[in-house]
Amino acid sequence: MAEPAQQLEIACSSCGAAILVEPLLRTARCPYCDSPSVVNRPATIDRPDPLCAIGFTVDRRRATEAIRSWLRGKWLAPSGLRRAAAERVQGIYLPAYLYSAAVDIEYSTTVGEAYERTKVDLSSKPLRRVREIEYRHLAGRHASYVTDTVVTASRGLPNAELEAIEPFDLAALVRYTPALLSGWIAEEPSLTREDCLRLAREEVQQRAVGTIEGFLPGDTHRSTSCHTSLRDESTDLILLPVWVVALRNHPRKPLVRFVVNGQTGKVWGATPLSWPKLALIAAAIAGLTGLLVLVGRLL
Amino acid sequence: MTAPADLCRRCSSPFEDGDLRCAVCGHAAPAAVRDDLPEVTVEVLRCEGCGAAVAYSVTARAPQCAFCGSIVRLEVPEDPLEQAGLILPFTVGRSRAEESFRQWQGGLGWFRPPDLRSASRLESLRALWWVGWVFDVHALVSWTADSDAGAARADWAPHAGQTELGLDGIVVSASRGLTARETSRLLPSYDLGSAREREPGDEAEAVVEQFELRRAAARRQVRSELERLVAERLRNGVIPGRRFRNLHTSVLARRLVTRRLAFPAWVIAYRYRGTLYRCVLSGQDAACLLGDAPISAARVLLAVLGAVLGILGLVGLLSAIAS
Repeated sequence: MAEPAQQLEIACSSCGAAILVEPLLRTARCPYCDSPSVVNRPATIDRPDPLCAIGFTVDRRRATEAIRSWLRGKWLAPSGLRRAAAERVQGIYLPAYLYSAAVDIEYSTTVGEAYERTKVDLSSKPLRRVREIEYRHLAGRHASYVTDTVVTASRGLPNAELEAIEPFDLAALVRYTPALLSGWIAEEPSLTREDCLRLAREEVQQRAVGTIEGFLPGDTHRSTSCHTSLRDESTDLILLPVWVVALRNHPRKPLVRFVVNGQTGKVWGATPLSWPKLALIAAAIAGLTGLLVLVGRLL
Repeated sequence: MTAPADLCRRCSSPFEDGDLRCAVCGHAAPAAVRDDLPEVTVEVLRCEGCGAAVAYSVTARAPQCAFCGSIVRLEVPEDPLEQAGLILPFTVGRSRAEESFRQWQGGLGWFRPPDLRSASRLESLRALWWVGWVFDVHALVSWTADSDAGAARADWAPHAGQTELGLDGIVVSASRGLTARETSRLLPSYDLGSAREREPGDEAEAVVEQFELRRAAARRQVRSELERLVAERLRNGVIPGRRFRNLHTSVLARRLVTRRLAFPAWVIAYRYRGTLYRCVLSGQDAACLLGDAPISAARVLLAVLGAVLGILGLVGLLSAIAS
């Protein structure tokens, strides 16, 4: 975890009222005069200045629409969810690291080359052609750049959830300026750079096997092993536009969360199942089965 | 804004004006040095017009004042239309070009119409700078392929390797006016060392063709040309064997420098018996001329007739001897 920043008390530069800024936020809004402020804290190792950001292109209406149509497909979800989701959606600039590096993969594999052989079989009259595979060992290196790996820098949104709403079109990155955040919620990184670097390296390493499998010659391959080494790594803090709704139907029930990509409108969410609906379905099935059995007996 | 001379720290390729990231390896472009903040500062962004607070607007895709609607400009990655920055000067003048064209017409051979030189009329002789990218790159190429070398039971054996390739002065034509065949025939006639900065007076001397691509699309084109060239080099002497299939490459480019050049050419149009023909002459070598010319049907017929008569005569002679 990154060392916690201090909660700040700032004076609203419009009306002078005191505003408290949460330690992990870059922005605040004065409750008395509604002026949006952007806070610039001195950069540290784990809280560097953002390099670039992607501005929101999906507005609140489109975000709620996206969640609603996504929920329409999940008819086992509790009905109350739909209404609540529309009210509580919030646009947040999520801190994330853009990772790039030169990747060197050492691989070792067995490549199969297909060929046809005439099978001599005395019992059958015509000679049969059979397809066989000749296996040969192949080892080598694969060098390339990875450029567009993005990992979360927020403890609030786990990397798996960010991956679920990726990709972001990184060609739309603009140079960071505080004006971009004005009026929106923007978060400071809450994971350390080291943690994020680990996440990014894992992501690159996981993709290495797929890269090599797509790179191999031959007709088939098996027992491929890779060793990945990364050079000239760079991590740059960027801010990504995300719409988030967090709902808790009941204090004892788990949190329901929806995340919408603020650039493309892609939705992700873990929907709980509605127990009453499930019970109703189970009862209907049981009733129908009973009815069929009864009809069978009578006949 | 980055100065064009800045080099990427990872792959040593130069950044171009307005790049936020390296186009080759994704490294961040060096930003204008920002003072390190000694302490926390708070900003309320004010509209320059009316002084009201400004907030980012989704519809404007930029920070916008809610009262007067004025927009704060953002520094976005630039994707300008490509422009030729360097020019190769003409060394073949107009009169020399015309003379060279007449000579060419005279030396086309017997199958052309005998009155080609006298009866054809020069319609136009235009000076043109056609445009293209010239790139240098140092590439580490990882490759795999099946080849016939070392094959045992199957026809193919798998091979893999890594090769360092230095490619210098590779030209990719961006010309719409000239065909790929024409530009590739013209290229050997140019002296790339004679390139100079483009000057305002150049347009008076000749038309400079426009690139019809933006920078991002141009980079993709250069990249695909680089990959095609790498595959060609690998097939010619790097991969063992004579027949190949399933060639896969991964190109790690370093010091990829792309220049936009304008190449001088004379475009000649002439009319012979109502039909228009086109020729292209290099602006730096009067001997490098390629183009179309009519073929004389009468002379071709004459040749065929002569050949047939000759064969008949020979057959007659042979049969006379045999009898």
